Amino acid sequence: MSGVLAAGGLAVVLAWLVFTLAGWVVAAPVSVWLGGAVGALAVLLLRDTLPLRGLVALLAPFGVMLPALALRHMAAKLGLPVVPFGALELAVFLVAYVVFLASAMGALPLDIYRLGYAPLPVAGMVLAVCFYGFLTGNWFLPLVAVLGQALWLSGWGSSNWFDYVTHVLLVPVAAVVLLLRVF
Amino acid sequence: MGILALTLLSLGLSGYAIWRDKGLEWSFAVSTPPAPQGAPRFETVFDYSVDQGVAHAPAIVGRENGADIVWFQGSSEAQPDVEIHRARLTRSPDGTWRADTPKAIITSPDLGNTFTPQQLVVTLGNTIENEASPDNLYTTVVSVGGWAMASIADVAMQDGRPAQARKLNLSPFLNRSFLVKSPMVAYADGSHGLPAYFEMGSTYGALVRFDDTGRVRDQRRMAGDGVKPIQPMVVPLNADRAVAFLRDFNDSGRLYVSRTSDGGQSWSKAEATDIAHPNAPVAVLPVSGGRMLMALNGDAESADLLHLALSEDEGATWRVIHSLDRKPGDARYPMLRRLDDGDILLVYSHGTKTGLRAVVMNEAWVAAQ
Repeated sequence: MSGVLAAGGLAVVLAWLVFTLAGWVVAAPVSVWLGGAVGALAVLLLRDTLPLRGLVALLAPFGVMLPALALRHMAAKLGLPVVPFGALELAVFLVAYVVFLASAMGALPLDIYRLGYAPLPVAGMVLAVCFYGFLTGNWFLPLVAVLGQALWLSGWGSSNWFDYVTHVLLVPVAAVVLLLRVF
Repeated sequence: MGILALTLLSLGLSGYAIWRDKGLEWSFAVSTPPAPQGAPRFETVFDYSVDQGVAHAPAIVGRENGADIVWFQGSSEAQPDVEIHRARLTRSPDGTWRADTPKAIITSPDLGNTFTPQQLVVTLGNTIENEASPDNLYTTVVSVGGWAMASIADVAMQDGRPAQARKLNLSPFLNRSFLVKSPMVAYADGSHGLPAYFEMGSTYGALVRFDDTGRVRDQRRMAGDGVKPIQPMVVPLNADRAVAFLRDFNDSGRLYVSRTSDGGQSWSKAEATDIAHPNAPVAVLPVSGGRMLMALNGDAESADLLHLALSEDEGATWRVIHSLDRKPGDARYPMLRRLDDGDILLVYSHGTKTGLRAVVMNEAWVAAQ
């Protein structure tokens, strides 16, 4: 099943890439469907090729957050109601995530990543995200957190919950979006 | 409404996760080494060299009436043609040793095909036995970048070939920058801990614990100030206490130690010992009489010679009892394991990573030094 999850994650990321590139040439509905078709076909027909295996090696585990953000971006372009993240939210996330990565590199004495293996800390973190969703009225982050918890519990992918709800690519993604908001 | 439903779902999932989780026992299994008996024996049972390229980082896989030696071999370290090779050492009924012809057991394409999900594997590195799962291995794999971007793969072997593989979930950097070198540590509940090390940034040693299904359940660090302690060689002293000998990746010229008194849950800050040592790992094995046997280089700058040393005070002081390679030849990366008949097997690489040697000794030989 973890192979299916990875294939799904790769298909969505490829779809988003094609959608973004095609967006320079064609309007949103076409770029979304084009991206979806290319992503699905590439994973179905070309998954054993060197470029796609290289992408899996480069980006796996995809987790939930990265594909969810890609789908969210495409859904917004299709006109579906999507509540955008605020600049403050993005800035706080970026700082918190960089601190999290620094702790994993040993720059801090506390190892936050290892909390993602244990049921109680994961339960607390997912509840905290749901509470934040209540406060903001945005269901996106609670959905990612709970879906990540369900997959973590299923045993199909990573044994660490953080691998579902974070991805190192979120650092450049959040930084670029934040810069575009500010300037 | 939707968020409330997600919260309730989360509560249900959390309850199930907490109910299912068995937690970890943190008591080491402490084995009693056999007493010396019979005539002292010390013999070289395997000597292997390659004409070109590298053959390096040997490990020992325990087996009935012998052992397998596994190592990585290729045109050069970290190249795509590096393969994991194996030689099978078998003890005959008359006590003599025979080694079969070394052969490749894992190649990068093979491993890439067996990975879940299937993916590119660029090169292979240090490999050790997965002692919790007979015949299986933990292999250091690189899919992108150099050693600092490596991952540890749990490789299930079948008929001497990889059948299934998955990366251990050890870091938020896409599970990268963790490597293996030293043998696993047994726990009293039958589980095992995996000594590993993180090579990115500040760099540290780690002890990895697993759940019943072999998935990572926890990891604890062995860090230091101003040093890069890697390749922990963990030796349990009793159920709660253990000492880890660490290589300093910073070229300080010293061997480092970290200690635990709670079964590996927490480790003291890595501190320099009086033992001069190059930027290279050591191997340690408990032997009879409450002593420890260490294979080390014992020189601040040179990994030319390999020595055997004994400690009678839990690693505080050491006495060299034997020098293995009197002719300088870059002897390093030792591994020590107890064989099923109580003898001790030492393997190491020599000739500047171009060959391997295996030596079998018994407790009587150690006691006689």
